[in-house]
Amino acid sequence: MDETILEAHSLEAGEGLIPQANWFELSETLQKLRKNKKFPTIWCSGCGIGVVMGALIRAIDHLGLDNDQVALVAGIGCTARMPVYMDFNTLHTTHGRALAFATGLKIARPDMKVIAIMGDGDALAIGGNHFIHAARRNLGITALVVNNSIYGMTGGQYSPTTPLGGRATTAPYGNIEPPFPICDLAVAAGATYVARSTVYHALELDKYLAEAISRDGFSVIEAVSYCHTTYGRLNKLGTAADMMRSLKDNSIPQSALDRLTPEEKAANTKIVRGKFIDTPRPQYTQVYSNLITRVQGGEL
Amino acid sequence: MNDIVSVSGQTHAAVLPAKKGPRAEVIMYATWCKGCRICVEFCPPRVLAMDENEDHPRIVAPEKCTACHFCDTHCPDLAIVIRKLD
Repeated sequence: MDETILEAHSLEAGEGLIPQANWFELSETLQKLRKNKKFPTIWCSGCGIGVVMGALIRAIDHLGLDNDQVALVAGIGCTARMPVYMDFNTLHTTHGRALAFATGLKIARPDMKVIAIMGDGDALAIGGNHFIHAARRNLGITALVVNNSIYGMTGGQYSPTTPLGGRATTAPYGNIEPPFPICDLAVAAGATYVARSTVYHALELDKYLAEAISRDGFSVIEAVSYCHTTYGRLNKLGTAADMMRSLKDNSIPQSALDRLTPEEKAANTKIVRGKFIDTPRPQYTQVYSNLITRVQGGEL
Repeated sequence: MNDIVSVSGQTHAAVLPAKKGPRAEVIMYATWCKGCRICVEFCPPRVLAMDENEDHPRIVAPEKCTACHFCDTHCPDLAIVIRKLD
């Protein structure tokens, strides 16, 4: 593989059939990428995070938002590298604090569509507090949580979403801690739009992301991905394509789950895909500006 | 555009206009491709196959493409574009 890539890189501009500058013009998705960044991406070969990036770009494109209207905020981790490649307003912040920075941004610029992109460890371990409190306040932020069950970038330590019994470099005999159900947590904490899909169901992910971004309140999208280089290797789950296939086989839509008997529902171990809540609630920046108007003696 | 191409050859991208019953044009950009095999394993009509060294995908049957958009939506490196033909 290396040889081929080296060969391709050693080509002079114009020698290849498609120079990079022209490649960006080929589709609407590619046009939203940041052209001066080094491609290909840093992610491992076959990583699902790239699929989520494509879905996010298509969702923004579908809504017809201008690049300047959207702000992407990310912390640290594999997932948090995502905004680096996209041509929107971006903030690359400290570990776990994506939502904290997004809160400040949203309060300063309530007109902007703020999207916080986090990994599972970023959102629920290091930034767990920010996550529940942003949901409680109902800030107008879209939280995109890419769940790959492990800390990929730092070498495969178990994270708050590693399945019970799953092996990680810090849990060589299997994880003994039950995982966080991200969507249930978000619903309980007060998020107004919560949905889950997987990277295999990329078009479904597009749809949920577009809906979440168009909603006013705090919305959470859990994109179930995989880490085949650490989690997959330690648990003998095969290649990226095998793990992608297992997302297809081990997930069930909410509508199909509803048709099952109570016993079958209780025994379900598959990933449930679907929209779990979609109820509007007063949005924080709106409530805050109303407060300012009231206290300053203006009309409400 | 040229009509063919092995990715491991001199040229590093392929544009293959379909010959019969064309529904879409498959365009790959091998410089970005990391050879993860997702497109090859999932392509329903098997338009793509790995090359001899199992390194990179090649477009082996462009005329079979049904424009299902699986490969371009699931390519983690955004190295495939499917252009629907009218």
